[in-house]
Amino acid sequence: MEQALQAIFSATFVAAVLRVTTPILLPALGGLIAELGGVANIALEGIMLISACAGVLVSIATQSEWLGLLAGLAAGIITALVLAFFHLDLKADIILSAIAINILASGGTIFVVFLLTGDKGSTSALVSRQMPFIEIPIIKDIPLLGPILSGQNLLTYIAFIAVAGVAIFLYRMRAGIHLRAVGENPDAARSVGINVRSQQYLALALSGALAALGGVYLSMGYVKFFARDMTAGRGFIALAAIFLGGKTPLGTMIAALVFGLAEALSVQLGNLRVPNQLVQMIPYIATLIALVVYALVQRQRAIAHQRRFRQAPTP
Amino acid sequence: MQVTLPSSASSFDRAAERARVQQERRRSAIVDLVVTLSTIALALLVGFLVMLIVGKDPILAYSSLLSGPLSRSHRAGRWIEDATTLIILGLSVAIPFRARQFSLGAQGQMFIAAMIAAVIAIYLPLPPVLAILLPLVAAMLAGFVTGLLPGLIKAYLNANEIVSTLMLNAVIVLLYDFLLTNVFTPPGAQSLRSELIQPNSMLLRLSAIFGINLGRANLAVVMVAVLVLAVWVLLSRTPLGYEIRIIGANEKFARYGGINTQRTIALSFAIGGAIAAVAGVHLVLGVHQRLIPAIAAGLGFEGIVVALLARNNPLLIPITGLFYSYLRVGGDIMEQEAAVGAEIVQVIQAVIILLLTAQVLVNYAKSRHRLMRST
Repeated sequence: MEQALQAIFSATFVAAVLRVTTPILLPALGGLIAELGGVANIALEGIMLISACAGVLVSIATQSEWLGLLAGLAAGIITALVLAFFHLDLKADIILSAIAINILASGGTIFVVFLLTGDKGSTSALVSRQMPFIEIPIIKDIPLLGPILSGQNLLTYIAFIAVAGVAIFLYRMRAGIHLRAVGENPDAARSVGINVRSQQYLALALSGALAALGGVYLSMGYVKFFARDMTAGRGFIALAAIFLGGKTPLGTMIAALVFGLAEALSVQLGNLRVPNQLVQMIPYIATLIALVVYALVQRQRAIAHQRRFRQAPTP
Repeated sequence: MQVTLPSSASSFDRAAERARVQQERRRSAIVDLVVTLSTIALALLVGFLVMLIVGKDPILAYSSLLSGPLSRSHRAGRWIEDATTLIILGLSVAIPFRARQFSLGAQGQMFIAAMIAAVIAIYLPLPPVLAILLPLVAAMLAGFVTGLLPGLIKAYLNANEIVSTLMLNAVIVLLYDFLLTNVFTPPGAQSLRSELIQPNSMLLRLSAIFGINLGRANLAVVMVAVLVLAVWVLLSRTPLGYEIRIIGANEKFARYGGINTQRTIALSFAIGGAIAAVAGVHLVLGVHQRLIPAIAAGLGFEGIVVALLARNNPLLIPITGLFYSYLRVGGDIMEQEAAVGAEIVQVIQAVIILLLTAQVLVNYAKSRHRLMRST
């Protein structure tokens, strides 16, 4: 027990939390943009998987992590645009088409990997590249914070910088404000001359790009190979993080950190005698509880809102 | 109040009207069928093109995909066994889908059902018929509750049902894994699996009845027939089914029309859960006759395709279930014989969903069809 506590209250543990938070935070930020644009993106999981696969395969072929990253990004954005095309232009139900994309990703990635490598499980037999880990010169020598803030993967830094980026985009930039207006009330937005369709295309493309970064991180940072269904539900946990975070960038980041903490804890506890299946449940149960709590809060808010409305005419 | 009309005239009108409606209905059913068949053809064509592009021999692959399941009797048995599971899953999905609720909990409900059924079938000695009925009923109850939970929080709190059902699935699968490792697997066993269930609880295999090797296909096919009818009666001939359909058509209208939409939505989840549980029971009592790791893995989304292809019509689900499991079994055989990954079937599945949900394409196909009829 003492050992466990020591392990948890250590810098390496905090660093591990940041590491496992990254592939939840990135897609969650993407999903947040889509959600606020009124086009819930359930396909985050599939987009991550496709990008993780594309990134690794291109990095194997070219031995360049940057080309891998580019390929992963392109694959993610294209997949998101396919979803957008089916929903916005062909009027398909966005949830069902997103489910289809998730199935396509799960089957398609294995199909391609099997075709190219002859192995169905993973690409670990081949040499792929990894995104660089960054040592920050002065910070890395600070006693406790050094190992936490320095030496993380480039994409981990990008994930946390993206929180600020997404916040600025959503609340300070014209496109972001239009996007939220579309999500709030498409008819009202249309009536003031906002192009709803192109805003929602933008929202889905951005969510695809961010989910793609999350996928690339998984296969080219967190580990150095692509494995079948390696996203393991992170795309859905990301969705939950959006709701838990109250649909704001900062809240989403905190929620993602909570899930990251739960996952890192489960790894730590797994080293002890605690059955690891029970520990692995923690993030999912946390998500369920969070979902209910968020729904309850929303409900209270709606009721309070109604009451205020009703009282307004008779002061 | 009764309006008095010349009875002959009114009955004449009614008969004509009924005939007209029936003809209209028949026509739209035919159009639906044409649209579905062309979707399948298009999806198969996409698979064909994919194989062509990646340099595999698509003709060899497709001939083993499309003729494989009938090439040997035990393969046909695998087809029947898989279709049994998929048809039940399709039925379970169709009910919440009719109410436009995206319950994706079938996976977890199957695992729960498998556990409950196995506990009774392994540890509780029972006389012949009861040894099957009790696990079945208990598992269905468990499935009902497992479906009800996300149903309640969706109906009363408007919490996203996709996230809640998927999270619940993950928890249940881990719980299953945990119990299988630590409780069901007898100490000192070589591999991770429970003891066999008692002979009284085993569903009779079709091989034993017909005297040919039909693999693990079993008497659960009878359950399928019963369920198809039951779901059809529920949706088309009961007040609850009517409410489910009205909610699916227009939830606000249903609420203003006096339907307790929250109760109905929660029930649609729960009934779907109880039916998915039957699929889990089939896996334990019929197919594996014990608990094995990942007993229902990879079946989570299959029911959706089956239900969608049938447009959530319970009477069509057996046909689409048979079709889709034919593709699945054929895919495995294709992998053995043509070295093309069976996952191409998932790609075809995704294309089918995408095309069928694309309203613009479907409407276009329908209008073309009408155009051809009118000229």
